[in-house]
Amino acid sequence: MEQQFKIEIQSGTTSDTVHFHGNIDSHADSHFEELNRKISKKMVVFDFSGVGRINSMGIALLLRSIKSIKTEKDAQISIQGVNQINSMLFKMTGIYLLAPETKRL
Amino acid sequence: MFNLSKHGRVICSPAAPISCSDFHEIHEWPVQSSEDKEEIIDRVGRLIAGNDESHEFLRQRAALMADEMLENALYCAPRDTSGNQIYAKGEKRSLVPGEEIVLRCAFDGEKLFLEVSDSWGKLSPETVQGYIAINLAHDTSTDRAGRGLYFMWKFMKDFYVNLAPGLKTSVGGFLLLNPDSYEYGAI
Repeated sequence: MEQQFKIEIQSGTTSDTVHFHGNIDSHADSHFEELNRKISKKMVVFDFSGVGRINSMGIALLLRSIKSIKTEKDAQISIQGVNQINSMLFKMTGIYLLAPETKRL
Repeated sequence: MFNLSKHGRVICSPAAPISCSDFHEIHEWPVQSSEDKEEIIDRVGRLIAGNDESHEFLRQRAALMADEMLENALYCAPRDTSGNQIYAKGEKRSLVPGEEIVLRCAFDGEKLFLEVSDSWGKLSPETVQGYIAINLAHDTSTDRAGRGLYFMWKFMKDFYVNLAPGLKTSVGGFLLLNPDSYEYGAI
């Protein structure tokens, strides 16, 4: 069944790690509005290991969020924990051009 | 009816309906409201029995395709007389009297057939071609229309749109358990 979407931010010494949980679709919109102002570091990691499905609306939300954080916070974003299908979507839509994938330590 | 090549061109118009005679059983699940979407996506996933990586990847693709098809039928197909979208994505809604949305699917162990029909009949070949063309450019535009259709075209074998203007639109195709080409989802 559908997982309730939520975002958790773990603030480290040099970076913020954003953990996404659940499906990313139109219902996630309000959560993304909050995300930008909660980012404080110049290095940001988006962790998708708790994410299920990301549909086209979710891709739009991610693109908007990544661009906004990069522009308004002057931060670098990297991506980790992406499953097979979502990795393909990120390649197809150019998300990896904005935020490259990194392997988790 | 028309199919689209991997270059986004209409390659068959008109074309014979896709044959589903290979399948032992075709499931038909009508949609009554937007609240039905997740349950129907789950049902599609449960058809794909198997615990290995190939089956899991097929379940992931099937869930995405069913999601995009149902979202389009629920929110993009309904248009007012000026052609404007009536419902916003994410809005809870029930189907209006006379409106029909049906998901059809079948799985033979190697390929999954998926189709969603709506009773609006608004999706023209030109519109689909236009959406695919703009999504082929990887320029990371945020609010790009037709991204869901682009995903369907990219992942589905024999992707088709069957249009009876003002009466019915059916969008469908096949997902392969072991796609042999990147065009249909192979890595």
